[in-house]
Amino acid sequence: MIKFVDVKKTYLNGVQALKGVNLEINDGEFVAIIGLSGAGKSTLLRLINKMIDITSGQLYIDDIEISSIKGKDLRMLRRSIGMIFQSFNLVKKMSVFNNVLSGRVAYHSTYKTILGLFPKNEKILALESLDAMGILDKAFIRADQLSGGQQQRVALARALTQEPKVILADEPVASLDPITTVQVMDDFLKINKEFGITIIANMHHVDLALKYATRIIGIKDGLVVYDGPASKINDDKLVEIYGRSLKHDEILGDPDVEV
Amino acid sequence: MSKFEISNGKKIVKPFNKIWIVLGVVIVLIIIFWQFITYNTAMFNLGELSVIFKQLFTPKNTILEQRTWSDYFEFMWELREPLWITIQMSLGGTIIGSILAVPVAIFASRNIFKNKYINAPFRFLMNIIRTIPLMLLVIIGVAMVGTGVLSGIIGYTVFSFGIMAKMFYEVIETADMSPFEALESTGANRLQAFSYAIVPQVFISFVSFLFYIFELNIRASAILGFVGINGIGEAISVNNLYNYDRVGATVIVLFVFILILQLINSHIRGKLE
Repeated sequence: MIKFVDVKKTYLNGVQALKGVNLEINDGEFVAIIGLSGAGKSTLLRLINKMIDITSGQLYIDDIEISSIKGKDLRMLRRSIGMIFQSFNLVKKMSVFNNVLSGRVAYHSTYKTILGLFPKNEKILALESLDAMGILDKAFIRADQLSGGQQQRVALARALTQEPKVILADEPVASLDPITTVQVMDDFLKINKEFGITIIANMHHVDLALKYATRIIGIKDGLVVYDGPASKINDDKLVEIYGRSLKHDEILGDPDVEV
Repeated sequence: MSKFEISNGKKIVKPFNKIWIVLGVVIVLIIIFWQFITYNTAMFNLGELSVIFKQLFTPKNTILEQRTWSDYFEFMWELREPLWITIQMSLGGTIIGSILAVPVAIFASRNIFKNKYINAPFRFLMNIIRTIPLMLLVIIGVAMVGTGVLSGIIGYTVFSFGIMAKMFYEVIETADMSPFEALESTGANRLQAFSYAIVPQVFISFVSFLFYIFELNIRASAILGFVGINGIGEAISVNNLYNYDRVGATVIVLFVFILILQLINSHIRGKLE
């Protein structure tokens, strides 16, 4: 369980990204965070694995307050949290398999990982993760040979290999085309349902968020303005979150119709 | 500066491009320095040039000594031993210096260590070392351990270290940091993130730099005979007064060897890419 208690974040340049957030996210949820660019979505996500430190308030993960942890404890925390990025963040010149296996490095000592000494069962795990994402046949080619959707699946396989309890996804489909977007979102759903991993995703496309997530968190100017099931969100709520009616590009549309 | 007006009446100003200032300064400097260079056409003595070329690249033929082409090529063949010594010294210095340069380059990189108080001393170290000419480094080596292979290795090591540290840290700083961020998010420590996210990106450049530095060292060996170092430079320093043909033969051997090195380098680079 992830719990925010009056969490605030002010950047060094004075920008107040979060102005007091209270949230509780339970294990196994599929949460979509929506809101305008600059509303604080990315900040909220990155506070959870301490890629960014909170300014004030408390942030609990499984009842452990994380704002003061560092060093080995921090790395152990991050090990239990996978992260997916908009631009995939793969090593392009490395094979898909090695990219996926790199999700395991935090489980081993530095010298073992530098020498590439992974136990056989972890190599099998990496291949099984690739298989779960449907790209086992791409294991031994270079990552930059793959399409965007395939690269994001490699990133998902890397996160799965990490065996996390939670996966944070920062605009995971924002640089993909509509059809690939749906495929990758289906993969997220599969990870959520079959592996029981909590998913917290920043979403640019509102209709996608409503379709896949069970819970929507709407953020506006650093504050949570909506927190509830996806089924209960309506146009008035969206206007409240966005401060205006939705723009065309904030709706993906139905890719099956568009094609 | 130029102004544009588009069809709906909106105006936009293109800002002044600073490249024109730079170009202007360069042109003024060229004009100023041109005034200091004194020359006349009589200084370009092409006849003398052809005499020297003939002395270098044909067997010596004077009243005291008449040598044949077979002497010329035999001398080239005899150069294999000093060349081997030069290769040992250059390769040893290249490898040791480059390995020592790796940690320094990592600590000097602003994207890996974001604290400038960590970067600064390592940058200072590599800048200082690069200001010392190879000749001086070798003289220091000779002073430490006497003439011989070891003093050459010491000089080449420090020289190679300076170049590799500088070139390698620049490559590290231009690496794509997004996989590094991803690795850190999995709980990897900085060294693990570096070896998985950065090393695959910079490895090819490192190998290519190794060859380039080895090549620089071989080339520099031509003048190291003058400070008492064995190897191919010795063949030049002992013959430079009267036996131009031997100097010429040595230059040809060096030229061919460096050419082969460059071919191997581009071949390996092509294979790795």
